[in-house]
Amino acid sequence: MKNSAVITIPSHPRYLSVLRAVTAQMCMLSGMSENAVDEVKLAVDEACSNVIKHAYRGDTGRKIIIQFRIIPDSFEVIIEDNGIKARPERIEGRDLEEVRPGGLGIHLIKRAFDTFTFDKRKRRGNRLKLIRHKKVYHDS
Amino acid sequence: MTVKLTEKYNKNILELSGEIDMNASPVLRKELMALVKKRVTPLVIDFNNVSYIDSSGIATFVEGLKGMMAFGGKLKLAALPAAVKEIFNFSKLDRVFEIYGSVDDALNS
Repeated sequence: MKNSAVITIPSHPRYLSVLRAVTAQMCMLSGMSENAVDEVKLAVDEACSNVIKHAYRGDTGRKIIIQFRIIPDSFEVIIEDNGIKARPERIEGRDLEEVRPGGLGIHLIKRAFDTFTFDKRKRRGNRLKLIRHKKVYHDS
Repeated sequence: MTVKLTEKYNKNILELSGEIDMNASPVLRKELMALVKKRVTPLVIDFNNVSYIDSSGIATFVEGLKGMMAFGGKLKLAALPAAVKEIFNFSKLDRVFEIYGSVDDALNS
């Protein structure tokens, strides 16, 4: 497929640095500003950290598949796992006025992406689709 | 990421370098909370060579700050690169932490 790339990483946090490097390269290929690259890289890192923590409950021997698609008007990232199903209605960040550890990751993901949806058609595990529209990232 | 405890003007500095992510945060947490437990105060965190931080890193510092505040200790963050500072600003934690432009500013405060 044109303008797309797929990587598979083990569900071990040590591979998040590899993921960030690939994410940054794909963002740059799509023409994002430096600030936007940083936001998206962090958001994809947070989403995959969530897979390790919640879908795989810290099991480092599983796999995460990340697909990047550069589309004329948007940048898409699709993250797949075979872990415990997420319950989107329960995913909520902490109130940013509240000072406590945790609950920040979802805010960082939603800051970088306009769309955050789990594919309900996936029977086992999760397929999270993140879309950032181009009009937004030219402003970043 | 590497963590090194140094001293200047009889004050403790935790020098960090590299990326603070989900892989590095447990190491940092162990070091930081050990110092909190020993009531090392003030403790200056030198961010000069930190190139990246994620929410697990931020959470580690929030935990460290809470531990310090519990006994009246001071945790001071110094020399944050712009990209790192931006995450503290976004999460509104710049209002909660003492943040200084340089390690010397933090030591002299």
